[in-house]
Amino acid sequence: MISVQNLYKSFGGKSVLNGIDLEIMEGETLAIIGRSGSGKSVLMKHIIGLLQPDSGKITVDGTDINSVSYADLRRIRQNFGVLFQGGALFDSMSSFDNVAFPLRTFTTMSEKEIENVVLGCLNMVELPGVGTKMPAELSGGMQKRVALARAVALKPRYILYDEPTSGLDPETSNTIDELIQNLADQLNVTSIVVTHDMHSVLNIADKAALVHEGRIHWAGTIDELHRSDDQILRSFVKANEYLIGK
Amino acid sequence: MKISNELKVGITIVVAITIFIFGVRYFEDLPLFQTTYSLTAEFDNAAGLIAGNLVRVHGVSVGSVNAVGISDETGKVEVQFHVDRKIIVTEGSYAVVSGIDALGAVRMDLFLGPRDAAPIPEGGLVGAGEGNDLFGDLTARAPAMVQKFDDVLSGLDQVLSETGTMLSEPNSDLRSSLASVRGSVAQLERLLTEERTRISSILRNVEDATGSIKTLSAENGPSVTKLISDLSVTMATLDKELISLGDASRGLTELLNKINEGQGTLGKLVNDPSMYHKMDSTLTGINALLADFKANPGKYLGEMKLVDLF
Amino acid sequence: MLQYAKNLLFDPIQALGRYSQLLFKAFGAVPEFNTYRKNLWEQMIHVGIDSMPIVMLAAAFSGAVTTVQTSYQLVSPLIPKSIIGSIVVPSMVLELGAVVTGFILAGRVGARIAAELGTMRVTEQIDALEAMGLNSIGYLIVPRVLAGIVMFPVLYVAACFVGIGGGMLVGHFGGFVPMGVFVDGAREFFQPFDPIFGLIKCLVFGFIITSVSCFKGYYTRGGAEGVGKATTEAAVASCVLLLFADLILAATLL
Repeated sequence: MISVQNLYKSFGGKSVLNGIDLEIMEGETLAIIGRSGSGKSVLMKHIIGLLQPDSGKITVDGTDINSVSYADLRRIRQNFGVLFQGGALFDSMSSFDNVAFPLRTFTTMSEKEIENVVLGCLNMVELPGVGTKMPAELSGGMQKRVALARAVALKPRYILYDEPTSGLDPETSNTIDELIQNLADQLNVTSIVVTHDMHSVLNIADKAALVHEGRIHWAGTIDELHRSDDQILRSFVKANEYLIGK
Repeated sequence: MKISNELKVGITIVVAITIFIFGVRYFEDLPLFQTTYSLTAEFDNAAGLIAGNLVRVHGVSVGSVNAVGISDETGKVEVQFHVDRKIIVTEGSYAVVSGIDALGAVRMDLFLGPRDAAPIPEGGLVGAGEGNDLFGDLTARAPAMVQKFDDVLSGLDQVLSETGTMLSEPNSDLRSSLASVRGSVAQLERLLTEERTRISSILRNVEDATGSIKTLSAENGPSVTKLISDLSVTMATLDKELISLGDASRGLTELLNKINEGQGTLGKLVNDPSMYHKMDSTLTGINALLADFKANPGKYLGEMKLVDLF
Repeated sequence: MLQYAKNLLFDPIQALGRYSQLLFKAFGAVPEFNTYRKNLWEQMIHVGIDSMPIVMLAAAFSGAVTTVQTSYQLVSPLIPKSIIGSIVVPSMVLELGAVVTGFILAGRVGARIAAELGTMRVTEQIDALEAMGLNSIGYLIVPRVLAGIVMFPVLYVAACFVGIGGGMLVGHFGGFVPMGVFVDGAREFFQPFDPIFGLIKCLVFGFIITSVSCFKGYYTRGGAEGVGKATTEAAVASCVLLLFADLILAATLL
């Protein structure tokens, strides 16, 4: 369980987060939605301790991640898999080595075992045979899928997705959505999806939280989202539906 | 075979370390593979010798200085140096620091002992020799110079006293001799007056020279002091000689007065031509000597000229 | 105006603070050898062995040019030819070997490190490393700085070797000074501390170039433009700090 309490953060005098409160339960998939620049990604980076809050508290399984040592923080992070916006594949390594990297770093598995796991992960993201390719040789969507394979290689308990479908064509977006859903179902991971793509929210999320002006303006299940008459939420959903063309 | 990164890096580092060590040893003039033959020398004065300066034997560089320091025990300058193994440094060898510090070209000359003597063991002490640099040279030669000068003066004294003895023999041709004797005496006196000023100017020169030597190099203090004391001894001797010269001429005058007054055996002197001739030639000799001395005092004060050089 | 003055004063101090903080974290990560072991070898290849040809080329030419220029300037018949060796060798060992290598590395390695880390920063690769639970400073910065500290002296030795060799060859075959005379002159004024001082300088230079470039790269902001800026700044800052360090070392150790 992850809980965020009263989180404040500003950059160079410009406040981005103004008291965020959020709870993510074990096994659920939460979509954090909001306009670009509303601070969704900043919130996500706080959850894994990549950014330090000005004030407020973030606990993962009851541990305050900002008061533990760096070594402990890193141990906690090993429970997370993160899919970054651009994939963030290490461009000095092949796809195979990218996926194998966390296994080689954090496990004592033999090279043979690692190979099995890596090929399994690449199959899962439907990219068998790209192992020898360098990230630069892959398309944006393929990079994201390899990055996803890397994020799940260590079988994390939490997976954070930062704009998993942005910049992708609708078909690839759907593939990614399916992958996220499958992972949630098969591995019973807790997922946090930061997105402004309402289409994918409706596809994959159990719950949604709208970040507006640095606060959680609205939070609830997808059913509640459909029924809500909150003005800001409605306009956000509408704008999205219009863009997607529904 | 693909060379692993570790191996590449390792090989490079090992090669670099090897080149570094051998390079430093090469320029330190230490033999690359042979062990060194190191020795120590003790000096009162290092005269600007520093580590890295060459060590030479007969002008051939055979090694270099490792370190120069003041010994805690003796308070002397301890110079550690090494030479090629081929050079056998035997007992009786000595080292000399030479060259001019101001030009940065100081070196250590090693003078080997007799070939059949026992070699000095590794790390052993080599004696220090008298410096053969400019000041050392001067200091070494000063006593000999003073001696020579002394000889000249006593030679002059002898000549004069002989003249006196000869004149005390009353049988000489007075009339003819007297004028020339008188002339000679006057000439001698004039010369002495002249030379007095000249000698005092030489003395002043010497004083100036010693002053500049002192300021030039405080390092050479002891040897300069020695030089000066030697010189003052010389001057004292010179003064003494001049006094006796004066005595001699006074005696001469007295004698001539006596002869003038008609005392003694004048007829004998007149009737003895051989005596006359002897005396005449002696006086001519003195004349020539004095003339020569007057015309060319440098010849007699030649050794003083060295000091004049300053 | 006031803001500008404030920035002028505070920005460098703030940067220094962040730089020392980064170094502090890096020192803390040094014992985690397993994190960066593999990277260390790779960086040693990049920093050291890949830089070898250009460093040697530059050193050979500076040695040769120093020899030619020294003999050109020595016209007095009173000064022995061996003085050329006495000037070229210490010049190479004390100053040129380290500084020429330093400038080349500042340009070549410094820019490369800053661009590499900058790109990793803006494409979130550093965040990805951190998010996995890896110590990104230990993984990225420690091996680069260590590689700099270890390989710079190696490059320095190569530079001196080739530079003195180049000077000797040009002196000999160019008819300026025969090799034996050159070596005699070099030996006469050779101080064993000179190469030690050169090595100390190299350790410092290697540390400055790599750590400053890592700092610039690690804290890159603002996409491709930011990477470009970081790269330029890394090369310039490395060169400037290198010159300052050169002066300070010469003033304190010589």
